[in-house]
Amino acid sequence: MLTGRQRNIRLACACIALGAVLLGNWPQAGRADEWKDGPDTYNRVCSYCHETGVGPKITGRHLPAAYVQAIVRNGYKAMPAFRPSEIDDRILGELAQYMSNTEDQ
Amino acid sequence: MSKYIALPKGVSEASFDKAIREFKRILGDDHVIVDAQRLAPYLKIMIPVAISKHSPSAAIMPVSVEQIQRIVGVCNKYKVPVWPISTGKNFGYGTAAPATRGQVVLDLRRMNRIIEVNPDLCYALVEPGVTYLQLYEYIKQHNLPLWIDPPIPGPIAGPVGNTLDRGVGYTPYGEHFLFQCGMEVVLANGEVLRTGMGSIPESNTWQVFKWGYGPYLDGIFTQSNYGIVTKMGFWLMPAPPAYKPFVVRYPEENDIVKAIDTIRPLRIAQIMQNAGTVSNALWETAVLNRRADVYSGEGQIPDSVVQKFAREHGFGAWNVYSALYGTEEQIAHNWKIISAAFKGSGGEVLTQADVGNDDPLFNYRRDAMRGDLTMREFGLYNWRGGGGSMWFSPVSQAMGSETLKQMAMAKKTLSEFGLDYVALFIIGWRDMHHIIDILYDRSDPIEMNKAHDCYAGLLGQFAAAGYGTYRTNVDFMDKVSEIYGPVKRDLYRRLKRAMDPNGILAPGKSGIHI
Repeated sequence: MLTGRQRNIRLACACIALGAVLLGNWPQAGRADEWKDGPDTYNRVCSYCHETGVGPKITGRHLPAAYVQAIVRNGYKAMPAFRPSEIDDRILGELAQYMSNTEDQ
Repeated sequence: MSKYIALPKGVSEASFDKAIREFKRILGDDHVIVDAQRLAPYLKIMIPVAISKHSPSAAIMPVSVEQIQRIVGVCNKYKVPVWPISTGKNFGYGTAAPATRGQVVLDLRRMNRIIEVNPDLCYALVEPGVTYLQLYEYIKQHNLPLWIDPPIPGPIAGPVGNTLDRGVGYTPYGEHFLFQCGMEVVLANGEVLRTGMGSIPESNTWQVFKWGYGPYLDGIFTQSNYGIVTKMGFWLMPAPPAYKPFVVRYPEENDIVKAIDTIRPLRIAQIMQNAGTVSNALWETAVLNRRADVYSGEGQIPDSVVQKFAREHGFGAWNVYSALYGTEEQIAHNWKIISAAFKGSGGEVLTQADVGNDDPLFNYRRDAMRGDLTMREFGLYNWRGGGGSMWFSPVSQAMGSETLKQMAMAKKTLSEFGLDYVALFIIGWRDMHHIIDILYDRSDPIEMNKAHDCYAGLLGQFAAAGYGTYRTNVDFMDKVSEIYGPVKRDLYRRLKRAMDPNGILAPGKSGIHI
């Protein structure tokens, strides 16, 4: 839990930042650290379908990395496509490598 | 032959070249996509129309309000329309595809900052690219006693897009627009508007008081194309000390009357607090099974087959999923009222202890109704397979007789096209969203046409009976808009002409054109 002082500081920072928006000076930064690496992306996104019986099992199948990348970008049947704004090329490359190397769990 | 996969209507290639050059100057080359292969993720849809009908011309990915202001300047200069998306996961309603071919997708997913989560006043202020997963993790990491209210695609969808399309979740904060408070909007002329209290520079009440002063504006930026929402505030539910999910199963299809007439007074009095659901036997079946394993015949699956399957697998013809929230004492007291009411109406009332820990249907509702993330419901997409899904979502009074009438109409029309009635009602306050998932095989052109014609048939049938849908997909926006009548449509158009005279913002959204 945040203390009252921490909250006030946060609020003050938010107000300063919001004021900057009105002046058109909002700093240009996304959240670059949204996904840490391939396993992190699998565990925090893919697993919602592929570990619950909604999508097919994809670990331990040694799927070719290029195939994984193509499916993620194009989608397949009910599998949605993921845009580079969601999962960038670097993370997608790591995810595909990870998927192609996982052993059966 | 153009080098673009589509061009904006009425814009020459030479003119579009110039616009693209200016977009690149603002965003950098990496954040402007025109290449067909890289545009592929923007083309994926689940609705039953050709991809080419809704192909974008390009996709651009700003990261700041200032960039968006400059983008609308370019759009006005070259008359290039943009289609804003937040997370682009509006499955069954069009995903990320624009209403008309050739628009530039304005992909706001990179604007993904959680600007504030206030644990005292229980609200959040976020950018459009924030996902429910991000918010969920933030709350857990900071150990805040708050719940979120995700829809089923929550791990990859976000609160801004869902709320702007007036989507729903399953906790007591399920009607998302009801709990929205304050927006920042880039208007078509590049001005930045803060709604409500946010218009006052030193205000600290933007996320706590919805109305501000003067005409209330937030509503005109939902299901609309009057501005680009770049920040949105919304209220978060304080985590209750105790939580008790339950299911009530009714054996007969006509028991929907008893179920809804039992729910209505409890819900209006807020004894039932959440946006619970009432799902039919086929919904329960389809979440967990493939159609071919249940029925191999032609046409709509017969009621007798569904009922037999339901009996054998222990779920009802209708299944009410709801929950109690509060202190142990409050829950114990309300449980007496609720369980007595449902039992008195002939329902079988069951808690987690009764169904055990391994019931996947109960468990995913349990998770959804407390704001945890689950996509288990998307097992529905395996029922037919082939990636086709389209939501038909008429609004119904919370009256048993009305739901029976709507059910009969829907089943009849679906049957004419050989499609199944996979349905649930999401409990509003005095209304319900009657959610029908039109599942079909998108790889089969005949089935795709049937699904499309079926949707058109359902819209027409329901409209003739006085019913309208609360939301629709990008291919039917004009048709739904017509159902709501010429006066409303004309006013929307006059507002559009006043606010966006060049028609650069999402032409065709909700049937609104310049």
